[in-house]
Amino acid sequence: MSPSHQARSGKEPSPTRPPGEHDVKGHAFHDEESDPSPAPAAPARRITWRKLVVLPVVLVVVLALTYVWITNVHLDSIAKNSLTGGNVQLRWWQHVRLTAISTFWVLIIAIPLGIALTRRRLRRAAPAFTALANIGQATPAIGLLALLVIWLGIGPRTAIIGIVIYAVLPVLSNTVAGLRAIDPNMIEAARGMGMSGRGVLLRVELPLAIPLILAGVRTALVLNVGTATLATFGGGGGLGDLITSGIQTQRMPVLIIGSVLTVVLALLVDWLASLAELALTPRGLEER
Amino acid sequence: MSFWEYLNTRHQQLLTDAFQHVSAVFQCMVIATVLGVVIGVLSYRSGWGGSLAITSTATILTIPSLAAIGLLIPLVGLGVAPTVITLTLYGLLPIVRNSIVGLRGVDPSLVDAATGIGMSRIARLCRVELPLAWPPILTGIRVSTQMLMGIAAIAAYASGPGLGNEIFRGIASLGSANAINQVLAGTLGIVVLALLFDAAYVLLGRLTIPRGIRA
Repeated sequence: MSPSHQARSGKEPSPTRPPGEHDVKGHAFHDEESDPSPAPAAPARRITWRKLVVLPVVLVVVLALTYVWITNVHLDSIAKNSLTGGNVQLRWWQHVRLTAISTFWVLIIAIPLGIALTRRRLRRAAPAFTALANIGQATPAIGLLALLVIWLGIGPRTAIIGIVIYAVLPVLSNTVAGLRAIDPNMIEAARGMGMSGRGVLLRVELPLAIPLILAGVRTALVLNVGTATLATFGGGGGLGDLITSGIQTQRMPVLIIGSVLTVVLALLVDWLASLAELALTPRGLEER
Repeated sequence: MSFWEYLNTRHQQLLTDAFQHVSAVFQCMVIATVLGVVIGVLSYRSGWGGSLAITSTATILTIPSLAAIGLLIPLVGLGVAPTVITLTLYGLLPIVRNSIVGLRGVDPSLVDAATGIGMSRIARLCRVELPLAWPPILTGIRVSTQMLMGIAAIAAYASGPGLGNEIFRGIASLGSANAINQVLAGTLGIVVLALLFDAAYVLLGRLTIPRGIRA
């Protein structure tokens, strides 16, 4: 109801009606303005409590069960040697360090390289990298690591180099694919507004590629936790040490502790990365 | 001994290892494909079942393969059993995911049309939905195979068959003259086999993807 209509009807809202309502020739009318507009739907919570709670609880239960089992099982001197004196903690932290350092280098190398390969000048080099990535996928991680060990000698440094080489190609091809998938109209529009190549990259392409870069981080982390178990074959330490010594000495407790801790670490890392992915994706890019 | 001399003198052993590698991966891929497509067919129609299948297989893939083998050894011992179980489990994921995605991506109007001309549920599935979903499923099979080639190499540590043994022999004799030959032969052998598999899948795609939906 517009005010002019109200004026034409010549009647003020009668005191018997609630505010915002008035009558015209005996009929009740609502003022449009006074109708409360529907409250904006509460934004759906991205990180649900279930996502936050389920996996940690499962992991804690698994760890608790393993702990109870290992304290009650009989350990001979060889198994004791592998499991006491802070050895388990040492291997755990070595594994975490291998994963963190190698992931850092993977991202430092793969993401800028991915951006470079989608620029006009280097675009022609991209198919060569895709072919390389395909062959890289076919190379067994253990073979690559063994070759590096023969070439560079044993030690954590060799292991980290191997882990990085193995993870760079998948993250690189993900980044390239994601930057390519950006709607060219958006880039055209940004160009049309007078943005420079740099401006388009920093203010259009990269923000649009954030989900993809985060997915790359997650891929790298999960891959690296796995490849880091092989570091033991190059003298790089990590939880793989417990698994291999458990197999070699045929001590099942050592083998099981190593495997369970590796599984827990892998799932934990994947969970943390998925939370980061949810928390850091710009709201405008969420799927609805 | 140069690499070529090594290949010449050991070709019998290498061919046996290569054959065992291929046969282990191939057999596990057949089991994984059948299981994966069956899981996909059973779960793609329910949103809940589909996401459960995808989440649980994705969780398996997150676990490092050496740890999975390590957990299986106390249960089934060393040798072929942990290798086959690990390879099949890891091979499942891409196939389950791609069959669910592929089957869900079939245009519902085509399924309606199939119902309209009187096809039964089974006929619809076998003659309309699965052929249309076949290209993504085949992609899943390719991805799985590439992955299994590498995992099979690691499984050799648990006395599994294949070229991984060559690599581990090299690691065990680090510093000896033959170490690099052994590692190189194992690694390159796996790369070559993986590329051959890939070529075979391209050919299989040519032969089995219905002409109407070929890109």
